[in-house]
Formats: sequence, C-alpha cells, structure tokens
Amino acid sequence: MLVLRPVELTDLPQLQQLARDSLVGVTSLPDDTERLREKILDSCASFEKDVQGQGPENYFFVLENLTTRRLVGCSEVLATAGFGEPFYSLRNRHFTSASRELNIEHGVPALSLCQDLSGHSLLRGFHIDSALERTPFSELLSRARLLFIAAHPARFAEAVITEIVGYSDEQGQSPFWDALGKHFFDLPYVEAERLCGLQSRTFLAELMPQYPIYVPMLSQAAQDCIGRIHPDGQEAFDILEREGFETNSYIDLFDGGPTLYARTSSIRSIAQSQAGTVQTGSPIDARGSYLVSNDSLKDYRAIVAELDYSAGQPIALSAEMCAALNVTDASAIRLIAL
Amino acid sequence: MILRPVQMTDLPALLDLVQRAGPGFTTLPANEERLTHRVRWAQRTFAGQVERADADYLFVLEDDDQQVVGVSALIGAVGLREPWYNYRVGLTVSSSPDLGIQRQIPTLFLNNEMTGQSEICSLFLRHDQRYGSNGRLLSLGRLLFVAEFPQLFGDKLIAELRGSADEHGCSPFWDSLGRHFFKMDFSHADHLSGLGSKAFIAELMPRQPLYTCLLTEQAQAVIGKPHPNTEPALKILTAEGFAHKGYIDIFDAGPVIEAPVSRIRAVRDSQSLVLAIGTPDDQAPVWLIHNRRLENCRITTARARLVGNSLVVDRLTAKRLQLQPGSSVRAVLMRNQQQQAVAA
Repeated sequence: MLVLRPVELTDLPQLQQLARDSLVGVTSLPDDTERLREKILDSCASFEKDVQGQGPENYFFVLENLTTRRLVGCSEVLATAGFGEPFYSLRNRHFTSASRELNIEHGVPALSLCQDLSGHSLLRGFHIDSALERTPFSELLSRARLLFIAAHPARFAEAVITEIVGYSDEQGQSPFWDALGKHFFDLPYVEAERLCGLQSRTFLAELMPQYPIYVPMLSQAAQDCIGRIHPDGQEAFDILEREGFETNSYIDLFDGGPTLYARTSSIRSIAQSQAGTVQTGSPIDARGSYLVSNDSLKDYRAIVAELDYSAGQPIALSAEMCAALNVTDASAIRLIAL
Repeated sequence: MILRPVQMTDLPALLDLVQRAGPGFTTLPANEERLTHRVRWAQRTFAGQVERADADYLFVLEDDDQQVVGVSALIGAVGLREPWYNYRVGLTVSSSPDLGIQRQIPTLFLNNEMTGQSEICSLFLRHDQRYGSNGRLLSLGRLLFVAEFPQLFGDKLIAELRGSADEHGCSPFWDSLGRHFFKMDFSHADHLSGLGSKAFIAELMPRQPLYTCLLTEQAQAVIGKPHPNTEPALKILTAEGFAHKGYIDIFDAGPVIEAPVSRIRAVRDSQSLVLAIGTPDDQAPVWLIHNRRLENCRITTARARLVGNSLVVDRLTAKRLQLQPGSSVRAVLMRNQQQQAVAA
C-alpha cells in the first residue's frame, strides 16, 4: 500500500534520489543535501506550528510504499507564495495600439513582470516515480494536498496557484529562456533553474526585465513556448485542470510555462470532499475508488482506497487502510471520488 | 549660386527636384498640393508672420541662370504643435555580484526631449550639381542664417539622419520593432510620416523602454547608424560641431545629431563685416556670406579677402547678395582654418 504523509528527516537520502530524477524546472526540489535538509526541517516546523492564519509555512509530503519503505513521489504546498519576498510572474496582456486619425487599432501582446500572484497558496514540487505516472497514485500525490487544504482551510489563502513546468527540449534548451532570460543572465536555462533551487527564486527574478516584453519581438520558437507545457508536466496539469484550475494570463518568467489558478473554495477536491467517520470490522463491498485522508495535521495521511461509500453513513475501512491512515473506529476522515 | 527663400514661382522646379529625389525624401513628398502649402507657409515664415512653433524656413539653391537646383529647410521648433518623439539609447544593467552576472543591455527610452529645438532637414541637391561648394552652401547657409537670427531658433539645432535601409527601402529596425505595432511596411509608414502623420504613428508605439537585446541582430546593428547616402551631410555637420548624443529616429534608428547653436562653428566664428568690392585673388579663402536680411535673404559663397573690418569680394558676389559696397554682411570662412591648413 502507498501512503502520503508529511516528510521526515530520515527521508533525506531517498528524497535526494527523487530530486536527482526530477525534471529540470521543478526548482523547489534541488539536488542538494543541505538545501533538502533545510526544506525538510522547514516542513516539519510548519506541520508543528500552531498558526492562526496563513504564513510562510511549506507543507512537504512524500508518497511511501509501506511494504518496501521506498519513497516513490513527493509534493508540496506553500501556504503563501511571496511571503516576505515578492513572488514574480510574467503577465501576458494586450497592449492596444490605436490611432483614430490613422484608423488603426490592434493589440500587441506584451509580457510584464508582476507580483500579482503574491499571497496565493502555491502547489509545487510535484514529482512521482515514472512507473506510477497516470495511475491513481499520481492523483493521490497531487490531490491529497487539496484534501489537506480542505481539512485546514485557515492555513491557506482564498486562491491556489501552481506553475506548470514549461517546455524545454531533450538537451535542456528552453527556447523561451534563450530568447528572454538568457540576455539578462548569460546563463544556460538548466543552470538558471539550478540556481533557483539553491538560491532564492526572487533573487533571480529581480534581475529580470522590469519593462514589458512585446511578444512579437521574441523568436517564433520562444513565442510558441508561451503557456506551453513540458511533456513531463502534462499530467500535473491535467490533474489540476480536472480539479477546476484554469490557465490565465500568467506564465513562468523563466520557461514560459502556464500558471494554473483556482479559487480555493471551488476546487473540486475541496468543495466536494465529504467528511465521515470510520467504521472498522465490516466487510467492504467496493463500489468505487476514493482518495481518503485523515484530516490530521502533523499526522496527516492519505491513501487510495476501494470503498463502499454512501453519503451520511459511516465508512467501512479495512484494517490495512486504518493502519495506513493511522485511524481507528469512529475517527474522522475525508474522502473524494477518484 | 545663391541660397534664398523659396517663392511660389519655384513650385514647378521644386516639384521636379522632389521627383528626382525619390521616395526616400519623405519630408518633401512629391505631392503638388502639399508642396504648394509648404511653399506658402515658408513665405509667411520669412515674412515674420508665423510663430516659432510653426516656422518653416524653406530655402532653394539657385544658379546664376535662375535655375533652382537644390533645396534645404530649417524648422523653427519641433514638437510645439504636436509631440516630437525620439528614442534615447540608454543602458540597463542586470547585475548580481554573487552570481558573477553583469549584463549591460542598451535600452531604448521614448522621449520628447528635443521639443522646442530647431531642426535642419529636407536637403536635396541635384546630382549634376554636386561639386564645388554647392553642397556646403545648401547645408551651411542655414547655419549662417541661424547665426544672424538666433532669437528665431531654439538653443540647439538638430538633424535626423536617414537610417540604414536595404536596396528595397526596407529598414531592419522597422521590421524588428515598428512593424509589430503598425502592421504596415516601412515605406508606407514613412510615406504617412512625410504627409505629416508622424506623431500619430509615434503614438502607436509602446511608451515603455525597449531592450535592444530583443531586437533582431540586424536591427541592433543599425541603431544610430546613418544611411550611406547621408555620409557627406554627416561629415559636413560633424565638422561644424554636431554630434550624436544617443538620440535616434523611432522608425529607422537613424542618428539624431545635435549641436548647441552657440557652439556651431559657422555661428560662433561668423562675424559682421562691411562689404567691399575688389578683386580677391585665386588664393583668397572661400567665405560663406549672408546679406543679413530675413525676407530677402541671400546667402552665397565666394573667394574673399578680409581687410580690417571689410570683406573684399568681386562685383558678381555683391550682385548675388543684392548688396552695394558698404553694406553690412555676416560671413564665416567656408571651412575652419585648421581644415584649410590640412587641405593646404
């Protein structure tokens, strides 16, 4: 059985292996022991912290195979994007060129550096073992974060965003970066993303152009990257799109990947998840697949389970499920159909 | 040869000249109606009937057979009636000492900084007349005119030199920038600009600064580079003290060269002298001489000898200037002494 739970310091060696395998562009997952240790400690402190509102907390989850004790994925949710430092994106808007005298009017899309998304909660660091891509477990890894938000709404913002990794080729070349960021940094894309993971992303963002970038002035290859998803980022995108997330006018300032946005209260796994109580010792006549979480904070657990669920009725769980979720008879749980 | 204010009767000759100049000569389009309007306006300007904001001193170069062979103009002030735009080539630095990053990115800033300055423009000399002092008279005559009437002009004189374009008249700078905001090709925009729509077109341009690193390499290469055809004009004006201070044309990135009026050689070194008739020998230096009149302005070049406060010229020169001996003239050596020493 696979279970999603908060990261622990003992996960460090395995986590570093995951980081090594992760896609360039998932900058929140640096392949650097010290940085990862800091991230783990920071997450542990976040789960421990008694917070009244959203702050700088970062909740870092891992997906563990309980049989082999192997970590097969990880994901994070940051309570506040841009807490203490600005969170930068590029906003893609039309600049209207108009002259009444010449009877000309047309829009020219322009990218402007902005901090509009500061203050939203941010889903990030999604990475799963390639063998588990497009399985219920990738749904678990991504959406268990949403169930966590549903269980602890005061810890999160009214809107949730995520940046999907933008396009780069097999050699790690990003046409968008080459047309834009490279001029301002003189670094290859891979190196820039690596620095982002190690240093503060804001630090680099502040070297980015402060004036609008007119899209038609970029190379065609770069223009084609605006809002384009890296093939390996497609699943992360698809899962959240089904949750009701939408692309809007914001893109990543390094690779041009799309930013997804949703009002927290209208995210499917948050709006439609059901709270219930556990019933042990009953046979399960499985009728559907569900994501189930225990609504805890630092003992948070989530699994995929085949259940017989009826609204308003106690939910029958097997002993194995109860053990994985760390719940007993009559414990409160939350679930949503897969 | 004399340089004098244009007259209504010059219209057919002017139209012929403008047609010879071709489509690149946008400030004087080959359009009879517009040309008539401009000539009429120039006459009113020389008659002192218009404000500086509207002043358009249009001169023609006429030979001794009363044939008009060249044209040049002096605008009292740019930007006082409608905005006058240029880009200034500035610099943005992207720097992070910790990361060892130091990038210098030339950046174009849209501005109206030339507002109120005077402009020299619209110069064309018939190909078969491009010898001797003709080109200099046509160009520098305007500077001597400014020396005589500084109160009619701004603190600076500017000249927008045509930017680089290929043999089809396409501007790489326009193709990389302006085209995206107008959806029209350069020659069309240039044509509209010549018809007086330049400010309208400029208003379609983005207001925010533009990073040149995002332009094509060809476009970056022509920023501030004059069209090869303008090299002679550039050379003459540079010797007079004009310099490129980083301002460029917003369409083709041609350089805007400028000089404070008081530092222009032909202004600074010009003197008021008394005209005398004599026989200056062939070794006498060539002078640029103005009859100090506004409406009946005559400027010419001639070998002349400076004797005390008198400028000795031959009879024909006095006739060209429509002056009698004893009249006051403003004159300056055609080339500064250093240049003459080098030439000698």
